[in-house]
Amino acid sequence: MNMHYREVLKNKKRIVVKIGTSSLSYANGRMNFHSIEKLAYVLSAIRRQGAQVILVSSGAIGVGAGRLGLTKRPKELAKKQALAAVGQAELMKIYQKFFEEYNQMVAQVLLTKDVITIPERNRHARSTLLKLLEMDIIPIINENDTISTFEIEFGDNDTLSATVASLVSADLLIMLSDIDGLYNADPRSQKDAEIIHSVLDITPELEQLASGAGSSFSTGGMVTKISAARTCLQHGIDCLITSGSDPSILFDILAGKEIGTHFVANKQNTVHHA
Amino acid sequence: MVRVEISTLLGSNGKINPKKMDRLAMVLTNLHNSGKQVLVVSSGAIVLGAEKMKMHQVPDNQLDMMAVAAVGQAELIRCYQRHFDDYNQIIAQVLFTSDIVDYPQRLENTRNTFDTLLDMGIIPIINENDPISTSDIEYDDNYPLALIVARIAQADVIVIKMDLNGKYLIVPGGNMPSLVVDGETELQQKIESFGTNGLTGDPYKGRNFPASIGEIIFNN
Repeated sequence: MNMHYREVLKNKKRIVVKIGTSSLSYANGRMNFHSIEKLAYVLSAIRRQGAQVILVSSGAIGVGAGRLGLTKRPKELAKKQALAAVGQAELMKIYQKFFEEYNQMVAQVLLTKDVITIPERNRHARSTLLKLLEMDIIPIINENDTISTFEIEFGDNDTLSATVASLVSADLLIMLSDIDGLYNADPRSQKDAEIIHSVLDITPELEQLASGAGSSFSTGGMVTKISAARTCLQHGIDCLITSGSDPSILFDILAGKEIGTHFVANKQNTVHHA
Repeated sequence: MVRVEISTLLGSNGKINPKKMDRLAMVLTNLHNSGKQVLVVSSGAIVLGAEKMKMHQVPDNQLDMMAVAAVGQAELIRCYQRHFDDYNQIIAQVLFTSDIVDYPQRLENTRNTFDTLLDMGIIPIINENDPISTSDIEYDDNYPLALIVARIAQADVIVIKMDLNGKYLIVPGGNMPSLVVDGETELQQKIESFGTNGLTGDPYKGRNFPASIGEIIFNN
């Protein structure tokens, strides 16, 4: 049921993809180059098919820890910020290397959340990003962790990705993490739990579901994802949550296959479409 | 704190000269190895972005420049990484906008980050965050930014300028006048001999910095 809502995802022209740390690294914290290379391939291909693509990537702290040979992520905030400064440079180097294999140019844009609240900054960031898209470049965005401490403590860039999606008036935000969607019950304790494939309204019941223990195992957790989805819906942007363990899932999503949880922005249009 | 102008690292073809870049990484790593904590403020994002995008010249409008800077900043830090790697020196990338001085919380965050990086033996490479900056992009060639960084990090000495002939213009802390030193050995000696008073004063006064070492020599 509700397959028709997926039809609209076939025609998305401006897509923000958010990838979480868990999709870029192994459980032991080391970089998963295979995943990153695949992500570079998939995003380059999507861009070539004519869509504009923005990547919001976490992972700087983990990469920084690896560069310095640390086996554990530090707890202290200043140390996390320092690792982020080391790791952001490394992470960009890795992205550049893989995207270059597909002859795809990338750019680095580090944002703070006030990009929304300060009008002049908002305008500059928006025009820079649109200019980059127009030049067929894939901007890779992260929180500017050195000076801002919000995402580093909360949300694993979920909030930032919705901010970016609304900043550039995207058509679709896809959040890839270690959660394959929003379930109607805790999938770990209830075997018959099913993914909710289409969400038309973010109801209090849904939020209740999201705050349950079964869905808070990623860094950001489901609560920040729901909140990001709400931001998207308020701006008329479709939003999709699914697992990033295999980035080629993006092809299937954009082919309209029923994957993950889709927060439907434009119900009326969609129904007519069907 | 060392301010690097990209023009000092370019060859006659307008591209980054790897030999000069290598020398810079060596000198700075060596300074660090001698026991000094080193921060670098470097321009170059636009020049490297334009090169990466195969533009024949640097764009002349603000919007294109910001886009080119977003491409080039990634290239710039990669270039630094490559050369510092040769000396086994870890670097970090720190980007912010000059209006940071108006945000006490950010100033504190940034100071903590600098302190932690320096304690860990890492050299931060700092640049203006051009894509979201609301100040005139690169026109001031990072003079105000360099002074803001020096103040945040409470640097004892700023190396304002170096030129192709191995002359360095440096400003020691404690309100001492700026001076020109000749070659790396003299730079190292001078930095050794300065006290640890930290820099004081208003960073925006930096807008009055001389345009070139030649000008300093002439004026003195």
